[in-house]
Amino acid sequence: MSESGSQSQPDDALVDLLVKQATEGLSPSEQRALDAMDSASATQALREFERAAAAIALAAAPVDGAVPAALRARIEKDAQGFFASRGAAAAPTGVPRGINPREAVGRPSPAAGAAARPGGAGLAWFAAAACLLLALFAWFRSPTPPAAQVAEVSAPSPVAPIVTAPSAPAAQAPLTPPTPAEERAAMLARPDTIKVVLGATKDPAAAGVTGDAVWDPVAQKGFLHFVGLAANDPSVRQYQIWIFDGARDKRYPVDGGVFDVPANATEAVIPVRADLPIRQAKGFAVTVEKPGGVVVSGLKHVLVLGTAG
Amino acid sequence: MSSSVLQRIANGDSAAVRECIDEYGALIWSLARRLTRTPSDAEDATQEIFLDIWRSAARFDAAQGSVKVFIAMIARRRLIDRLRRSTNEPPMDPVDVLDTVAWSDPGTASEVSVEAEQASRALQHLRPEQRQVLELGLLHGLSQSEIAARLGLPLGTVKSFMRRGLIAVREYMNIDASGVSAGV
Repeated sequence: MSESGSQSQPDDALVDLLVKQATEGLSPSEQRALDAMDSASATQALREFERAAAAIALAAAPVDGAVPAALRARIEKDAQGFFASRGAAAAPTGVPRGINPREAVGRPSPAAGAAARPGGAGLAWFAAAACLLLALFAWFRSPTPPAAQVAEVSAPSPVAPIVTAPSAPAAQAPLTPPTPAEERAAMLARPDTIKVVLGATKDPAAAGVTGDAVWDPVAQKGFLHFVGLAANDPSVRQYQIWIFDGARDKRYPVDGGVFDVPANATEAVIPVRADLPIRQAKGFAVTVEKPGGVVVSGLKHVLVLGTAG
Repeated sequence: MSSSVLQRIANGDSAAVRECIDEYGALIWSLARRLTRTPSDAEDATQEIFLDIWRSAARFDAAQGSVKVFIAMIARRRLIDRLRRSTNEPPMDPVDVLDTVAWSDPGTASEVSVEAEQASRALQHLRPEQRQVLELGLLHGLSQSEIAARLGLPLGTVKSFMRRGLIAVREYMNIDASGVSAGV
């Protein structure tokens, strides 16, 4: 294929980074370098490299052995939970309309990702993120969490559920799936539920935001509740939930899904699901990410954060 | 059937979920076992990959490629992410079994996707050492640095082989290379 017709050709360094991302992934410093030099053509090129790599894997990797029955059962159970959660999130009763968790792929669509690249977003964000990371690391090392940005919640939660209608009697429950707000209210009543107040960071976009998180360690699901979280344009950026698991590497919180807040919403109840089993839910955070979310957050743009005791 | 499975999944069709597992489960399971550290990791990775598929189903565009490649891309993204999180241990597949890797025959591989067949054809035009770099990187999960150390090659050579190999495959897949051919 001719190379002479290129109008906008990424340089060698960029191509090297794209190839590495498609084949083995990038280190945080390499990811920052890619973000800094990213261009419109690069995201499409990355997709092409990923596609080529996938085709090579298909051409070479022998497909041997079916999925074990027990694993298949877990996959099907995951699917049931996923679609039930999605259906519940879309249910209008008792929940502000339009506040639906979006299905996050491991990475965003290339075009959308390109649109959301922060580019020269400024040193202020970076400095704030660095401070936040230091705070997070200190929190994981410390027996008690820092008090400035996070606070433990003692039951019952001071944040009233936004559901105004009483929950349906149990006998009627099968007729209408519970809304996220109803599920959250029920979860709050259970004694083993982990409850966390989410504190706003110093990020200007977080000004005035209050919220809390509830997490059921048995069911491995939970909900975030916000008041005052600004509406987002899903084509430009999305909110992404992160769960800090005390049993995992603190640098890599578990993805809890992406979500949007519409312009007319004042409160939001967002179902949280985790890709991985959460053994010790130590904290929750919400970041602003490019559309579709990210696999590993640089925690550059954290809006709210909270830790459990 | 394949072309509509993801759309049906996006619409919440539980039967399509089972069909997807039937059709692509073995593929994902094979990829996961090859690029994870332990059997337990492979199971966790497979669960994560299927969740990614459920979430991404609505974004599948048949004009951009086959369902199989779409799913393989999702699987590889997740597996690469997991590999990057734990780099101190080798994947389950020892690299010594490299000789057992058999590239599919593009002339007879009726079960592989069109893209995989194109990839096979492209790979046959590469030098053996280039193919070896691709095998180590894409099939065994070794980093470029690890490949360089294992093969006794300069890192720059490994980067060049990987880059040229991917570009060659991409061109066989009729992807417009106008965006990233500089310096290749």
